[in-house]
Amino acid sequence: MARSLLLSAAFALVLGTATELRGAEMVWSGLVIAENVAQPHPIPPELTGIERPLKRLFGYNQFQVIGQSRKALQTGQEDWLATSKFFGLHVDARGESQAGYVLNLKLYKEKELLLETDAKLSKRSPLLIKGPQVGGGQLLLVLVVQ
Amino acid sequence: MKTFEEKWTAWLDGQLSDRELAQFEASLPDKAAAEAEKTEAKKLGAFLKRELGARALTNEEFFSHQLRERIARESAGESRKSGGRRIEVSTWWTIRRLLWTGTASLVVFLVLAIFVMRDKNPAEQSQYLTQILNARVDPVVSPNATISMFETKEDRVTVLWTEGLQSLPADYAAK
Repeated sequence: MARSLLLSAAFALVLGTATELRGAEMVWSGLVIAENVAQPHPIPPELTGIERPLKRLFGYNQFQVIGQSRKALQTGQEDWLATSKFFGLHVDARGESQAGYVLNLKLYKEKELLLETDAKLSKRSPLLIKGPQVGGGQLLLVLVVQ
Repeated sequence: MKTFEEKWTAWLDGQLSDRELAQFEASLPDKAAAEAEKTEAKKLGAFLKRELGARALTNEEFFSHQLRERIARESAGESRKSGGRRIEVSTWWTIRRLLWTGTASLVVFLVLAIFVMRDKNPAEQSQYLTQILNARVDPVVSPNATISMFETKEDRVTVLWTEGLQSLPADYAAK
């Protein structure tokens, strides 16, 4: 009987963990440099799902990830940072609603705040942000729920 | 020299010697009445003995009552202990109940989990697009910056479009 009880408890634990894992959502945040070059590199795997809108909306043929972060959201209250050498994208999750995760985004150039926005990131709808021009290209911020 | 009362008492108890007995009985004015009185006294003595015996019995009863009370107390204590044992026993029985309760809880949990998953799925498959609630740029760093937002339902993406942000040299594209 005690064995059955233990088995039940273990089963519940495994099931609970599985549900917990099932509940976690992965958010990919990236700092992307978009450029037009003669021999473009293949698009990074993180951006393959949005290659078409990236190219169509921004008009560039090459996209390179210069900084990224992948964060599993358990509570919807996490915060994280995606950084490159000079830029930092701070993402502060402020809860989850049916429409998605409420995020506060801050783009820093070194310690200088360039841009701030609040958004509800839907699970099936990436967020693209056109940042400052960098050289001949453009800095883009991309957030995707994977 | 014994008084009459002493001799009378000794006569009643049959403790007079033959000589004393003869003398005492000779001194009695009405021997028949005295004999009757002696019989009554013996009856009384027997009654008193009986009563004294009964009193002793009462004491015994008292003690046995005390004993019974003590036994009852101890029995109550033991029954309490055995009650505890009974609780232990019932605890063992409760494990079965716990098992059933656990199983029932698991079922409830599974049902809820299915509900939650079903609730999550529509959200995942929902038609909601990402919404930009607000956006701002530092007016000191980028005084001419403008912001616009749009969604492309075809591609299901939401775009925050900025213009006029401070341009940066190509070095800033470094990883």
